[in-house]
Amino acid sequence: MQWLTEYKPDVERVERFNFVARLTHWGHTVTFLLCLFTGLVLFLDGVDWLAAIFGGYGGAGLVHRIAAVLLTIFLAVFVVFDFKGIINWIKDILRFGMNDIKFVMKFPLEFFGFPVKVPPQTRFNGGEKGNSIVTPTMVILLVISGYIMWFPAIFPAGLVRVAYPTHDIAMILATCMVCMHAYLGSFHPGSGESFWGMWKGTVRSEWAKHHHAIWYDETYGDKTDAE
Amino acid sequence: MANLTNLYDVSKCTACRGCQIACKDWNQLPASIEPFKGNYQTHEDTDGDTFTIIKFFETEDPVTGVNWSFIKHQCMHCFEPACMMACPKGAYTKTETGATVHDPDKCIGCQYCTYACPFEIPKYRKREDKISKCTLCVDRTVEGLTPACARTCPTGALTFGDRDELLQKAEDRAKYLRENGYPNATIYGKLELGGLNKLYVLTDTPDKFGLPVDPHIPKNISAWQNVVQPYFGWLIPLMLGASAVSFVTTRLLANKHGGHGEHEEGGHE
Repeated sequence: MQWLTEYKPDVERVERFNFVARLTHWGHTVTFLLCLFTGLVLFLDGVDWLAAIFGGYGGAGLVHRIAAVLLTIFLAVFVVFDFKGIINWIKDILRFGMNDIKFVMKFPLEFFGFPVKVPPQTRFNGGEKGNSIVTPTMVILLVISGYIMWFPAIFPAGLVRVAYPTHDIAMILATCMVCMHAYLGSFHPGSGESFWGMWKGTVRSEWAKHHHAIWYDETYGDKTDAE
Repeated sequence: MANLTNLYDVSKCTACRGCQIACKDWNQLPASIEPFKGNYQTHEDTDGDTFTIIKFFETEDPVTGVNWSFIKHQCMHCFEPACMMACPKGAYTKTETGATVHDPDKCIGCQYCTYACPFEIPKYRKREDKISKCTLCVDRTVEGLTPACARTCPTGALTFGDRDELLQKAEDRAKYLRENGYPNATIYGKLELGGLNKLYVLTDTPDKFGLPVDPHIPKNISAWQNVVQPYFGWLIPLMLGASAVSFVTTRLLANKHGGHGEHEEGGHE
């Protein structure tokens, strides 16, 4: 059985994600998962075996804090070194339109493997736009509530009480998105190529034309027009 | 077994703070020295090494003049403790006699309990990275002894015994005080938070002694522990399950439709 879509270096490829975007993406992958599994130690009951992997509850707490600081650093790296990328990302999310709504309506069929026709998409399709809103918002909430829980003495008690449920809800929503995102960005046959977009930075132009027609036309489409 | 309770009568307390010393002595707690703040109160609040303090309240009234009142402050040993509800490690238990006891061996120092508690009683002990608080001297009471604070009290302001009996005593005392110059005298701990295993006879309304008039478990904490924690987490396996189903069906359907290669339609995430 085929897992990932095959990487084809010998066909025409276009850049999808620059180095900073890829670095922060994979940095967040590692730190988020570390935080998730060390955090689940407290969220789930009776998972001593999970805590044991990190050297007990104390060790899990330490790993959680180290990973959290690194996650925050990756956030800062993204803001400092690719601010323009963030602005473009937000701009693309704001282009949410009919094509995105149609995409989201039809996507459940595509998700389970039925062939569907969807309207042309911008750089990020309807589903990706949703993920781009929910996951970063939840991660920012996790970071803020996390530091409040780490240093409760310097914050008002009322704020600390809000931080506890916020941290849990944001964790659940972010993890739900990550479950879908990780699968769709890798093993889902229809979208596997996007894995190489985030791993190597480029995707097949043929794939880009099919999946992100508007983005492809605007960025690489008619080169004479652009120049 | 019956609930064994401390009854503290404000009207009999002289703020000698013998209870503070007895508590430190029995629980082998080191001194925690705080700078002088301009009043007689030894500590601003209880801390990891100070389970009980006498709080001092100085108020000025144009009619009655300066009013000085004291109150003993420590864990209330609630019947429905918020600390026990919030603790992710199950470090809190209720004993047969109604004491809320914290097990430091299970504690990981997350301090959720500190902020869940309506009285903010459980305190972080930095040198151990653990929480500590008043135990109602369970290590004494199981042997039939009186808690250290109640044993040492020279004026009889602190008594220890069966909760029902002491409740009756407290009601009688409050009634007596109301008829003898303290019209606002009341008892505290009978019904608050489903009942406290510490009873107070107060010469005035609870707010005059820094006690919350209608204490309740913070709504954020109860919503978190009763709704979010047990139910919301199921969304995650649901999403994982959907992905696993898709992993199989996409591959089965792809075979049926003749491959999912160069000319696939649709999107990705």
